[in-house]
Amino acid sequence: MSTINFANREINFKIVYYGPGLSGKTTNLKHVYSRIPENRKGEMVSLATEDERTLFFDFLPVDLGEVKGFKTRFHLYTVPGQVFYNASRKLILRGVDGLVFVADSAPNRLRANAESMRNLRENLAEYGLSLENIPLVLQINKRDLPDALPVDMIRAVIDPEGQYPLFEAIAVKGQGVFEPLREVSRRVLERLAAET
Amino acid sequence: MIEPSIALYGEAFKQAARILARMLEDTGARYALLVDRKGFVLAHQESLWAPPPPDLDSIATLVAGNAAATRALAELLGEEHFAEILHQGKEQGLYVEEIDDNAILVVIFDPSAPVGRIKIEGKKSAAALKKILAEAAADTAAERKKLGLDTEYRESAAALLDDLFGEA
Repeated sequence: MSTINFANREINFKIVYYGPGLSGKTTNLKHVYSRIPENRKGEMVSLATEDERTLFFDFLPVDLGEVKGFKTRFHLYTVPGQVFYNASRKLILRGVDGLVFVADSAPNRLRANAESMRNLRENLAEYGLSLENIPLVLQINKRDLPDALPVDMIRAVIDPEGQYPLFEAIAVKGQGVFEPLREVSRRVLERLAAET
Repeated sequence: MIEPSIALYGEAFKQAARILARMLEDTGARYALLVDRKGFVLAHQESLWAPPPPDLDSIATLVAGNAAATRALAELLGEEHFAEILHQGKEQGLYVEEIDDNAILVVIFDPSAPVGRIKIEGKKSAAALKKILAEAAADTAAERKKLGLDTEYRESAAALLDDLFGEA
């Protein structure tokens, strides 16, 4: 749930980018960082290995501005995608308010997409959470791959019922990066308004 | 409902700030922060003599991540938790004490501040903060209702979202 700090009159939300290894989660955050004006963002923190694989998380605070007297901020996180890092990946989900699932369009990553989505559900369940109560949007990344799988095929393995908003993206070129972020943020705000 | 989020306001916030300030006075440390386990700063104090602190959000996020990893390690080893984390560098040290399931106390100090004292006062402060947080948590639900975070809030926020995230 969002953290409300009355003394500073701040409302903070935590958005987590989830998905299989190398699907482009960090690339999303880097693009957001590069496009947000200086006075609206904090420092980006990346805990990565030498070969730039996320080891623990990336973090980027974004300042939405003041709404009804409350400074409203979004903290964006990525998880490490590699299967191996599940212990640390699970920790990042703590207190999550919204999720962007970044899927990979490469044919040989179809299974990794499915496994990552299953892993997401399992890890949420350990916190007593489910996708019923956390807003989730899907980003199908790397649409520029020459052998990119059809979107429907990828959706079939991560969202067979077609219930989540879906965005196609080429995150490395900055295409389709802000749309899913805006959509998940909007849904998170809706949930806050519904709760209070 | 996801996670009991802590909201500090009014008297509870003032009390927490006073405890942090006293911690700094009693130990000679630079900065003291009350951070929730999601990595948000709930309250912080700086010693008057201390230079401006580094980015507080980054500190809070990394400390919360570190504390989460430390707790997971403790559980792997069959411990409920490890009481404290202490890092000592040449110029500065970092002391982290778990307050409860939702919050963490962080103290940043110079080598001139005695570590033994930091630990003793840290545990004392953590106990006092725990009490305040428990009382605050009880009031949170009622306070939230009074906020008026209604459709108007949502619509204004959504407009700002379009401004900030709208371009692509």
